[in-house]
Amino acid sequence: MTNVNATIIAGAMCKFGIRQASYLDMVQEAAKDCLDDLPGLTPKHIDGLLFASTFVGRRSCQVNTAPVVAERLGIKPTSICARLDVLCAGGSTGILLAKGLVESGMANLVMVVGCEKVYTPEMWQIQYDEIAAIDHDWDAPSGIGPPPLWFAAIAKDHIKHYGTTREQLAAVSVVNYAYGTTNPKGHFQKELTIQEVVEARQIATPLGLYDCCPLSDGAAAAIIASEAKAKELSDRPLVYLRGGSQVSLHSITANWPGKHLGDWQHLKLAAKKAYESTGLKPSDISVMQVHDCFSISQIVELEELGFCEKGEGGPFVASGQTGIGGTIPTNTDGGLLSAGHPFGATGIRQGIEIMKQLQGRAARQVDGAVNALTHNLSGANVEHTIVIYSKEPKK
Amino acid sequence: MTENEGVPFLEGHYSPTLDLWPIEAKEFNRIHTFYDNLKEGKYTTTKCKRCGYVSYPPRVICPECYCDELEWIELPKRGKAITVVEKLTAIPIGFGEPLIDAWIDLGKDSPVRHVFSRVINCGSGGIKEGDEVQLTVFEVPGHPIEWRKEKWIAKRVYFAFEPVS
Repeated sequence: MTNVNATIIAGAMCKFGIRQASYLDMVQEAAKDCLDDLPGLTPKHIDGLLFASTFVGRRSCQVNTAPVVAERLGIKPTSICARLDVLCAGGSTGILLAKGLVESGMANLVMVVGCEKVYTPEMWQIQYDEIAAIDHDWDAPSGIGPPPLWFAAIAKDHIKHYGTTREQLAAVSVVNYAYGTTNPKGHFQKELTIQEVVEARQIATPLGLYDCCPLSDGAAAAIIASEAKAKELSDRPLVYLRGGSQVSLHSITANWPGKHLGDWQHLKLAAKKAYESTGLKPSDISVMQVHDCFSISQIVELEELGFCEKGEGGPFVASGQTGIGGTIPTNTDGGLLSAGHPFGATGIRQGIEIMKQLQGRAARQVDGAVNALTHNLSGANVEHTIVIYSKEPKK
Repeated sequence: MTENEGVPFLEGHYSPTLDLWPIEAKEFNRIHTFYDNLKEGKYTTTKCKRCGYVSYPPRVICPECYCDELEWIELPKRGKAITVVEKLTAIPIGFGEPLIDAWIDLGKDSPVRHVFSRVINCGSGGIKEGDEVQLTVFEVPGHPIEWRKEKWIAKRVYFAFEPVS
């Protein structure tokens, strides 16, 4: 390993939502805005491309999509050109792998671009295709490919074991939607009240419409560069990819690693590994983006990532601790609940928001932010991915 | 669809990419015994003959010691529904209503303690937490197989749980 530190130097998302555009249209939009984010940066600077997408190979008749994307973006990769299929964590996985490629000396400047085209010409396929997102032979026939049922079970177990209330679940959506009002490229820009969340149409009790992130088309792109390249191309404060982790302990639900469904031992392990890789602890983290695919997931994540005691995630959010000025401002660009969740793009969107926070140019700026964290889960909660960013390299 | 819509030349053809169910036939699946056992009403998995580890789902190697000498054992067919959930909207085609699932405890003596399974043969609200459930096996659509010069339809079954009446 060479003595190189990887940094994130530019990034942008296209408009997330129900888009009248193909996946190739959206990656072009995101890539253009990404390069526009750092004037002077051109496709010729980029020597590697990682493309994160799970469903483009299923919702089109196209595999080996990375060269297709590279060609459309005018990029001619010479270090890496590959697609990543890690579902909801594809983007974060790309960022972690780009870090490794840059720090090994194999690549200098890697574009990580993620995209999903969720909305298909016929609506039936949108829900039906999700049977492929979980362990097919053993879980898909139970109908939990579309994830609300599984996360409703998680919510019920958390309520049962820790007394989490309906209003505490709703508080997650209220806070994240409020953050999302300042993200014009997010899926939604509207405020919610606790009452609106609680009284919304039920999807799978106890989860209602606003407890569930929307299905969104979208793309996001970021540039990962060596520290030397970053200094050459940018005058902004450096944002280092300080460390991270990815943990998978099971695939089928029967092999769930916790004592009950509100006990996420695999995330606890991922957090331990990520903190160890960086020499940081939860109290060092200034701001974070976590995987709020459902309101309950953010509550459990706050616990397992070490920001509150186990079982206290509900009261923690309801008391304002994830807002600006709280213990840990979380999902400051709206999160999945408000910004939307085009799977492969989500981890990149999170990384872009963190880059802006650490450079002091976020819409909802956390003053003095130094270290930050992103987190994704994948599928039926079978994999946890953490990236820790910092204004300081690991000593 | 008319003859000029969609992909008309694929009409009547089978594609695994859109199949809800596993391909169970022995020509394509080395753990076809699981499904053969289901057809006899048995809920089974594999146990390692060397280290004794019971793995679920069944496999062709032991994930603990990588021994490939495994035997089939039976799992309990009754359990208790611990957590019950019901999807109320956007139910995928192929499932029908109600779509009820449960986290099921197969008992402290079972080598597989929990499964998350669909609960069928009951209406909305027809199963409560704490209720006893039992395995039920049902036919699912078959699929064509072309193998060497022959072609036939492979019949299939799958399983879920149902309330103990």
